Amino acid sequence: MSLEERELEVLIGPQHPASGHMRLVAKIDGDIVVELRPNIGYVHRSVEKLAEVKKYLQIIPLVERPSLADTTANNLAYVMAVEKLLGIEPPPRAQYLRTLLAEINRIHSHFYGMGIHGVMIGSSTAYMWCFGDREPLIELAQELTGARLTYSYIVPGGVRRDLPQGFEDKVEKVMRYLENRMPDYFDLYFNNPVTRARLEGVGVLTKEDAIKLGVTGPNLRASGVPYDVRKAEPYAAYPELDFDVITEEAGDAFARVMVRVREIQESIKIIRQVLKKIPDGPILNEKYMKMIPPNLRKQVEETGHIKFPGVFANLRVPAGEAVARVEGGRGEVVFHIVSDGKMSPYRMRMVTPSFRNVILFEHLTKGARVADIPAIYGSLDYFPPEADR
Amino acid sequence: MAVERTIRHIKALATGAKYMLGGHRLTLMYPDDIQEFPDGYRGMIEYDWDTCIKCGLCAMVCPADAMKMYVSKEESEEGKRPVRRPGINYTRCIFCGFCVDICPTNSLKFTKVHDVAFYTFEEQIYPPERFREGIPKPQYDKEPRRVRAVLDEKRGIRYEPVE
Repeated sequence: MSLEERELEVLIGPQHPASGHMRLVAKIDGDIVVELRPNIGYVHRSVEKLAEVKKYLQIIPLVERPSLADTTANNLAYVMAVEKLLGIEPPPRAQYLRTLLAEINRIHSHFYGMGIHGVMIGSSTAYMWCFGDREPLIELAQELTGARLTYSYIVPGGVRRDLPQGFEDKVEKVMRYLENRMPDYFDLYFNNPVTRARLEGVGVLTKEDAIKLGVTGPNLRASGVPYDVRKAEPYAAYPELDFDVITEEAGDAFARVMVRVREIQESIKIIRQVLKKIPDGPILNEKYMKMIPPNLRKQVEETGHIKFPGVFANLRVPAGEAVARVEGGRGEVVFHIVSDGKMSPYRMRMVTPSFRNVILFEHLTKGARVADIPAIYGSLDYFPPEADR
Repeated sequence: MAVERTIRHIKALATGAKYMLGGHRLTLMYPDDIQEFPDGYRGMIEYDWDTCIKCGLCAMVCPADAMKMYVSKEESEEGKRPVRRPGINYTRCIFCGFCVDICPTNSLKFTKVHDVAFYTFEEQIYPPERFREGIPKPQYDKEPRRVRAVLDEKRGIRYEPVE
């Protein structure tokens, strides 16, 4: 390197720089980032191509895998697209149960993102707290679905399990716990002058740029755009629930964190409403309920655990196309399924929020300091496997 | 501004001190403590040899090709035609529980054991004859304490011993 050359290329990654394998190629001039290009694709798992050789029900666990913390959104969006093709609607109780799990998942997905962000900017306490407080929510979801993260809970026509006994009390306890704990989060982390200094005014995304770049989820709302699929195109039980779309005006890293915090509080509100309003009734579409043998149907009513009808093994979906979208924890999840009437989709397209947000790495870091790279990275709640699919 | 910052610094430190002395711990001390899972937990799978009708739905629905139909030797020789029964491969199983949910005779059941730790690769494959013998019992150096997760308003999660 000669003296005239001022720029230095720094490679960050690909061995797990933060929340997954990716490489950031940074050109720096002194302490200033001239250009930063995200180099993605290290954890590509070919979900879309694999879906073409798997049967419709087998794709449910597959689409959950890319997003470790935000599995319900993918599960729900995929099943909604399949249901559109099948022309069936889940019963109201199933709609509420879907909403319940989606909101529990949103809270722990936000905690996950905030925790990773915390440790990136050097606050390992925030990391420990967020990951610790994820645990009660995971415990709730485990009781409802039987698994910690990859729930595979939503199936065409309904959900797999009814509410367990005494579940409402447990949910209420956890919600109160989160509310009690929130002030301590503010004292120790969000209002901590160190955190403020690291995040305020860092990586500012203007409203116009956010719209132009096609950013989604909390990152979009932190720039003052009140867009939320739950309101724009309501699905599941959301049309019957009362909640606000959270926005912040500043558009900096701190605003993005604040949107997540306030969305957690909003989710608590939604969960309480869901448990209050949840109607009685079946949790699987009548069409499939009838296909379950009579002795098993009795068992389903007693235990609340659905038995799949035999037709689920080789579910055939009528030919056609369907698009479904869902607001996940990280943003909008879109599924486009093209069916030719066979047992596997002809083509499945999966658009994940992280893939749409990855452009921000290049946009937000221009002119920032090197130490701001992790502060910006973390604030985007970017998850490489989800973007690479 | 400087005053406010100082106050916030002090608040942050005070909160830290409160938790340091308050003993707010969420960690499960595995393997000294082992968590008992709630009912309906999707763990390793048990197989009932007698009620199975060998329909093969479990193998058909399995998303990871973990559940497969194996030719059952003894029965095939007796009946002079191939009889197939399900077997499971724990190197592939993702614990989605689709096989259990689709089984029309409840021959497959969840257990609450999730210790999928084996010495060899071959040990993880359960052909029907081994599958019927049930799941391996986890072995411990020292008998661990069994705990249950209790959700709590103040502590979030507590692990209480089970008798």
